[in-house]
Amino acid sequence: MNFFINATMPKQKSGIEHAELKRLDLFNKNNEPVMVVLRDWDPNAHINANDAGIVDNQLINMFDYFQESLQIEPKKLQVQDIEFGALNIKFADDVEKSRYLVKSNEQLVARVNYNVDADRQVKSVEWFDGFNNLYRVDHYDSRGFISLQQWYTPDNKIGTETWQTPSGRTVIEAFHKNTMSGEINKTSWRLIDRANQVYQFDTLAELTKYFFDCLNDDYWSLDQPNVFIADRAHLGDWGLLHLKKPAYTVFHLHNAHTANARNPAAPLLNNNYEFSLNNIDGYDAVVSATHKQTADVRARFQPKTKLFTIPVGVVPDRLLGAPRVPVAERKFGKMVVFARIAWEKHLDDLVRAIGLVHQEFPEVTLDLYGYPDPSDNYKARREVEQVIDEYQLSDVVTLKGYTTDIDQVQNEAMMYGLTSRMEGFNLAIMEAISHGLIAFSYDVNYGPNEIVEDGVNGAVVPYGDYNALAQAILQVLRDPKLAEQYMTGAYESAERYSEASVWSAWQSLLVDAKESWPAKLAGMPGYRGGQL
Amino acid sequence: MYYFVSENIFAYNSGTEHAQAQRVKFFNRRAEQGRLGQAAYVTRDYNRFLSRDANAIGLNTDEVLNMYDYFQGTTHVLRQEQPLRLLSQIPVDKYHIVGHGPNYSTLEDAGRVVAKINVMPATVGLVNDITYYDRADNVTARENFDWRGFKSSVDYFHPDGRLAVQKFLNLSGETVLEVTHMNINGQLLPSMYRLINYLGHDYRFNTEEQLFLFFLNEITRQQPDTTLISDRRGLDHIVAGVQGTTHKFAYLHDIHTGDTKHPVRGKLYPAYINVLERYGGAFTAILVSTLAQQRDLQTRYPRLTIKVAPDVVIDEQTLAQPRVTLSERQPHQLLYVGRLSPEKRPEQALRVLARVVKDVPDATLVYYGYAATQEMMHDLQELATKLQVIDHVTFGGYVPSTDLQKDYQQAQVILQTSVGEGLGMNLVEAMGNGVPSVSFDVPYGAHALIEDGVNGYVVPDGSNLVMAQKVSELLLDDDQWTQMSVAAYDKAQAFAESKMATIWQQVLN
Repeated sequence: MNFFINATMPKQKSGIEHAELKRLDLFNKNNEPVMVVLRDWDPNAHINANDAGIVDNQLINMFDYFQESLQIEPKKLQVQDIEFGALNIKFADDVEKSRYLVKSNEQLVARVNYNVDADRQVKSVEWFDGFNNLYRVDHYDSRGFISLQQWYTPDNKIGTETWQTPSGRTVIEAFHKNTMSGEINKTSWRLIDRANQVYQFDTLAELTKYFFDCLNDDYWSLDQPNVFIADRAHLGDWGLLHLKKPAYTVFHLHNAHTANARNPAAPLLNNNYEFSLNNIDGYDAVVSATHKQTADVRARFQPKTKLFTIPVGVVPDRLLGAPRVPVAERKFGKMVVFARIAWEKHLDDLVRAIGLVHQEFPEVTLDLYGYPDPSDNYKARREVEQVIDEYQLSDVVTLKGYTTDIDQVQNEAMMYGLTSRMEGFNLAIMEAISHGLIAFSYDVNYGPNEIVEDGVNGAVVPYGDYNALAQAILQVLRDPKLAEQYMTGAYESAERYSEASVWSAWQSLLVDAKESWPAKLAGMPGYRGGQL
Repeated sequence: MYYFVSENIFAYNSGTEHAQAQRVKFFNRRAEQGRLGQAAYVTRDYNRFLSRDANAIGLNTDEVLNMYDYFQGTTHVLRQEQPLRLLSQIPVDKYHIVGHGPNYSTLEDAGRVVAKINVMPATVGLVNDITYYDRADNVTARENFDWRGFKSSVDYFHPDGRLAVQKFLNLSGETVLEVTHMNINGQLLPSMYRLINYLGHDYRFNTEEQLFLFFLNEITRQQPDTTLISDRRGLDHIVAGVQGTTHKFAYLHDIHTGDTKHPVRGKLYPAYINVLERYGGAFTAILVSTLAQQRDLQTRYPRLTIKVAPDVVIDEQTLAQPRVTLSERQPHQLLYVGRLSPEKRPEQALRVLARVVKDVPDATLVYYGYAATQEMMHDLQELATKLQVIDHVTFGGYVPSTDLQKDYQQAQVILQTSVGEGLGMNLVEAMGNGVPSVSFDVPYGAHALIEDGVNGYVVPDGSNLVMAQKVSELLLDDDQWTQMSVAAYDKAQAFAESKMATIWQQVLN
């Protein structure tokens, strides 16, 4: 079995979740078995995962696994369905706080918090005893059963947390206790596993490791190893490096491995990857999305383990087979970019370049698609707006907000621009070239300077040099032949990310996993020629 | 169905528990013959050793019904010894089980203690409870095992180490009852009893009493024709509130006042206020052991129905066995049977002995009964030494009443030194084995059981001098002893099961 390991699958997804979903799709299309493994407790895990296209029988949340609730029929659960256990119950709707106050003979029994929608599905219930103590909060899974109970202390702190099966068997406990520092901390976890064995763990990391061991046992095969792909290395790295039985473990980089992405030799490593990079040969494979990163990792760490370059983006066959839109049918001089308006995207520089281009080609335009980042009072957007004013581009540059209508927007535009400070891959610019957009980017790691090939499908200019970026754009606008050539180059270079080529990259990893398996098995003390 | 409602059964039981247990056996024997009805001993308290303790007092699984067992669905679970080293919940490929002598073992993970397993008292290596510790040695959870070998409850603790939550489990490990401990007026106490998924619903109670009332209502609802007998004064008000019974009775095992000279007007023991003054009307009748107490209470509470039903039977087998003659007994052995506690005045028996020894140098005294406190035991031993009779005294400890018979058959005289007795099961049992009794003149048992000068003596209350004189007389006059022994055997016939069955039938219908 192939396991994709992540924390959650939230509504607001980052590039890591998008990459995982694309990979899931690819594996499914090629009939390669997959389980999406989510480590963190999340009462909405199933709703969100289902919305993202993950079906329940391809989803293993660690808590669900031990709670025996991997596949549960969702149940509508409203305030009147809760067992309050008291007589003469009355509900008072507290709309402002999205909750009902539940009383029995004027005694507050519970506060029931609900989802703000028509169904008002119950999210949690805060329970009060007959002496007005809040003694417990029950958190419901979105499928309508109590998942987590938090038991309170007399001074109103969370004492013990217990997770239970839908039938009410306690299976996981977490304890908040005094430590030598005089603070109350989570000091311990206890698990009553599916075989009713009781384990005590100091940390969530230890529980996670045990969970991985369980998965490895459940899907154990002498024919091939289980493949564990760590998409967020920091949440399971220690566990994967300490599995009880062998498996094929994959450390997947989704971002630059150094704190400063532009310097692959920078002393400070990306904090999320530091531990794994320092144990790099404990993994069976390391995956980077770009050849450039693979080369940098090899040069710096000189690992003996296998390195694979596998793009995290996949251009669907649908796009590759779509009719190409010639330059003449596109709006001349229209550049687009799909990115959050945020500090790391540095879009003010892109606007500066357009400002310079505009002086020669008044018909140039730039449309920015993406949410503004609210941090620091929308500082990034304010900076963009300031440059617009400075270059008097209010008719040229438009902040369009978020759109899902990517095909139409990109088929009408001519160019794509990117001035990010750093990237892990950048799915958007890959999509742009697959729509035949001529791409311009700063030379930044990792992704833009590989997806964009200077002189093939656009131009890569030195980081921070918006003059050079403007010159590259001008060159294309002045030369219709060059524009046609780059556009063809864009369409063609997108083939690198076709389903077939990305799948072939994965296949080489899976083949390596299978080929390495006999040797791994042979290294197990209990293994005797196929008997285990 | 008859339910005799009580709090618990203990390792060491008092006369009340013995009387109740005997009554259960007696009812069930008669039920087989179509008289009286099936009976069970109902208990409220959580007791993981209940099956052992019930068994020790002579009751089988069908004859005991505990509230917690009922909700846990474990009333009919048979015992299966659970050695700690064979406990399937311990992942023995992860932890070492390290023994530390007979009382406990530890679970160790790479040398670190993660749990302590206590051995069930008086067993070899059976699991009693498992306490888990975090890395700072705080207790995280304690799992409690039933005598019958299953995990019965789990306790959790507040950060300061005090009990926070008790989860009671069914055999599948699902929580069926939770008890939460929170502050009530600044004091940490059980503040919520929550019954989970009981016949499809949850129920919450502020106190264990409310839960107990719910339980009694449930077992009453589920059996047609249920009669409850409240055997504990602490439960009268709860039994009084039960609905749907055919009858409710309260059985008074003891004298209702400490003012034994004035039982009609003397100040009530506080525990009797509920049954006699607040909830008396809820009971079909209040039952006592003697006519004398019945008369006193009827005078005092003319509106209540007070009836007499002695709460002791001697089975036909005992009555039929050959009588034990003087020569077969331990010469000059005195007997004290009962709890060693202040209201029983066990020290008076010592003083009697000290006097008797002067006339009968080889006289001895054997105590059977548990000491209410360590201090009491110590004081008695000290007094025995001071009175120079320590070599004449044996403290035999607690012996279940079913095993006492041979001890009665060894003795020549039984001493009754209490400040008062509802009846005195010890004297009845002694008579069943031909032992004359000498008792202080206190209500109510003495006169009901002893015909002065016939099957024993009733001497002025508190006069160990007179008691000693009567005992010496008996010990030194074999003919007189033999007559009194025969009279005792004869008197015991009054408590034959068949006779008691008739009385109870009349009283209950």
